[in-house]
Amino acid sequence: MLSDSEKKLTRKCLDMALEAGAQKARVTLSKSAMDLVATLDGKVDKVTSCLDRNVEICIFTGGRFGSFSTNRLEEGALRKFISGAVQTVKMLAPDPCRDLPSPGRQVKTAVKGDELGLYDPAYEQVASGHRRDVALSACTWPSEGKGWKLISEEGEYSDNLEYCYCLDSGGLEALHCETCFSYGVEVTIEDSRHRKYSGYWWDSCVRKADLDAAAIGRRALENAVAQIGARKIPGGKRTLVLDSEIAYKAVSPILGALNGYNLQQSNSFLRDSLGKQVFPEGMTLLDCPHRPGENGSRLFDSEGVATRERPIIEKGVVKEYFLNTYMANKLGMEPTQEEATRPLLLPYCGAGQAPSDRDEILKLCGDGILVTDFNGGNSNPATGDFSYGIEGFEFRDGHIVRPVSGMLITGNFLTLWQGLIAAGNDSRPCKSKLVPTLAFRDVDFSGE
Amino acid sequence: MNKNKLEIFGVSEEQLRSLVAEGLRSGGTWCDLFFEDTVSSELVLRDGEVNSGGSHEDFGCGIRVLSGEKTGYAYAETTQWGELLRAARAAAAISDSNAGGKFPAAASPVSGPCRKSFYTIEKDWRDTPAAEGVPVLRKLDSAIRSRDPRVIKVIGMLSSQTSEILMYNSLGELTCDTRPLASIAASVIFMQDGRTENKTVSRSFRMGAEMLTDSIIEELADAAVEGLDERFEARRPKGGEMPVVMAAGASGILLHEAMGHAFEADFNRKGQSIFAGKIGKRVARQGINILDDATIPGNRGSLNYDDEGVPGQKTYMVRDGILESYLHDRISASYFGVPPTGNGRRESFRYNPIPRMRCTYMESGTDGSLQDIIGSVRKGIFVKEFSNGQVKIGEGDFTFYVKAGWTIENGRLDMPVKDINIIGNGPEALADITAVAADLRVDDGTWTCGKEQSVPVSCGIPSVLVGKLTVGGE
Repeated sequence: MLSDSEKKLTRKCLDMALEAGAQKARVTLSKSAMDLVATLDGKVDKVTSCLDRNVEICIFTGGRFGSFSTNRLEEGALRKFISGAVQTVKMLAPDPCRDLPSPGRQVKTAVKGDELGLYDPAYEQVASGHRRDVALSACTWPSEGKGWKLISEEGEYSDNLEYCYCLDSGGLEALHCETCFSYGVEVTIEDSRHRKYSGYWWDSCVRKADLDAAAIGRRALENAVAQIGARKIPGGKRTLVLDSEIAYKAVSPILGALNGYNLQQSNSFLRDSLGKQVFPEGMTLLDCPHRPGENGSRLFDSEGVATRERPIIEKGVVKEYFLNTYMANKLGMEPTQEEATRPLLLPYCGAGQAPSDRDEILKLCGDGILVTDFNGGNSNPATGDFSYGIEGFEFRDGHIVRPVSGMLITGNFLTLWQGLIAAGNDSRPCKSKLVPTLAFRDVDFSGE
Repeated sequence: MNKNKLEIFGVSEEQLRSLVAEGLRSGGTWCDLFFEDTVSSELVLRDGEVNSGGSHEDFGCGIRVLSGEKTGYAYAETTQWGELLRAARAAAAISDSNAGGKFPAAASPVSGPCRKSFYTIEKDWRDTPAAEGVPVLRKLDSAIRSRDPRVIKVIGMLSSQTSEILMYNSLGELTCDTRPLASIAASVIFMQDGRTENKTVSRSFRMGAEMLTDSIIEELADAAVEGLDERFEARRPKGGEMPVVMAAGASGILLHEAMGHAFEADFNRKGQSIFAGKIGKRVARQGINILDDATIPGNRGSLNYDDEGVPGQKTYMVRDGILESYLHDRISASYFGVPPTGNGRRESFRYNPIPRMRCTYMESGTDGSLQDIIGSVRKGIFVKEFSNGQVKIGEGDFTFYVKAGWTIENGRLDMPVKDINIIGNGPEALADITAVAADLRVDDGTWTCGKEQSVPVSCGIPSVLVGKLTVGGE
């Protein structure tokens, strides 16, 4: 629990900054605890215990701005650090666009920290023995099947508790706390020709009781076995189905391009897009920061600005730029918030009822390549051009026929989204971006 | 020197011994301590003015207890004795896991007295006020803008850090280091006929503030606008399998992704790497030497000591085409029965060390020049600027992202290309390096490797020809 003395320390930092010459200041205390048990081949391989505390101090003075942080929280060390920070800020050029958010934009409802139901009291009772039991119970080691043997299995159970306490000289006081229980497994198998394949699966949740670790090892193993015999196939224009596990990769560059820092630098393929129909009518992307009980939901951003449920893209029209106070002032626009908190892409189908999951989308598309993982790649934020390594499965008549690997997809995000065929309804709440399985037509694949 | 470091962290040698004893109390076979005090700062120029900056301090001690090959790890963000004891006891919990086993490397001390440092600090960053960095970034901004009228935006960044490190282990080895690390970078936006392009350039060294010279500014400004015409003309090539000529320098990302990670011994100890069990086997043609080196003066990847107190050294991974050594931390060295190679690295005291690369490069070959190699290719691609890469350790499939290059037609550069990914298989690509020029260059860009933890690295390579890789395109 965040103690009263820690809250007082945060307040003290704010006072120290103002005493040292800051005209305005914001102080954020972050505190976290994390315990981890990792397994290798059915045995405990590593135990880790982490406790972190850190203050971040943003100083505004004479139109100048600086951001500082330290984990040395003894009062004497803090006073010296903050005094030096204010002197550093005074050496910088003034920038009148720097300011605290107006009080009217700031959160008023984050008082106890668990208003969104992100804190599980059961966290306090987790014993080290329980962590080991969960980690070991999910192991599939040893196992082998027809034509393959297990080379290694690495599992990792962790639980953590995080606090974020934010104050500013304009009267902001906000608290967020969140528990998270997670488990992930990576297996490596070898086929009869000594080729190796890896598979991964994971889950995480706010509540201890909701974590079903036992199924995760088996799922990771299934993912590895499904890759046996994967190879390149001829490239060309094909239908692309992006599995919901990795479909966020088609949305993240859009969110980046709508961010004020990129827009202000003209380093965005979505500059001048606000209010315009840039994407197909079937595409609607919402920000849903207040979903209760889901990791990642937040009542406020790092400036203490209250998050809002709102459309980012509605029926293909860009409805929102992400503008913090600084970027809004730089661009001469109204501030919103600094980034999307919990983006949710709505289901869609250009021909009839939206499919619910991956299997329905494969049937809808008939033939193509289902991509289940990326291997590297990147995109150009200024143009939207992208190129990624991929692996997954070729499918025909809606059915998977063979695993593929060593291939690439290449294109541009604007044209990719114009080819949207369907969006499912199968995103997992453990993901930070709620993006379902997606299907796109005529994507360039490079292969043999 | 050691006495000063003890004072920085407020601990005595007696306390170090007591802490290690506490870590081993439950039956652990090895215990080491990693004290760190890192002070970092950054300045940012935006829209022609240096108008934001900051500094950060990260202080603490990581305590690792090994029970055989199993790891217990905990840390304290203070050196108050009670907190250190709590961390030692938390790390010692690994001894309750019935892990068992031996840790023979602990029997052989590896660290020695401080030798000549691989990094110099003529002017300590901690004694360099922010005001001294401001004119440097302004000058960089002006230098870039003066070179081309198509420059519309420049973000300049100067970041520096200095880490005081003290390490102690259950052999009684006490090792200290003072590590500088700094980067200067520019992210530039260009506009031509309503179209925008971007480019980021950087230089990074383990040096003090003396690295901020006029020549580094001019070098960065030149690099920022180099190839600009081609960038606006560039198109997507036709994708597929083809020969790839890689320019000297940053193409060393090929070695990092395609081979280096697969040579890291933790993957091989667990049998996961595609190179597992291949020591002593031919993996490349005769004459090819691939190293991982911590000893290049001022290099971003250099280390006087790794994060387990093992002296920085030069390690041949491939010599004359034969796989000679993996990259070891103490755990993997113990497992394989070889000396550690100084590759046990960590992001900070918050992490346990694991095998990581430092500066990975290939020695020069004897196949002439870059022009000779390009001239030998009938149809292929030439690549020279990169941003990032990745590898799948078991499968060996690696990728790297090409920011700029050319198609090759009949031995000549034909059409500029950009923003394409290239994919290949590590062992196949290594065996398929068919020409190596005599022009090794180590790249001084701000390379950071992200295997579980972020650590600074660098890479280099002479111009090479890889017979066949898959290139992304239309």
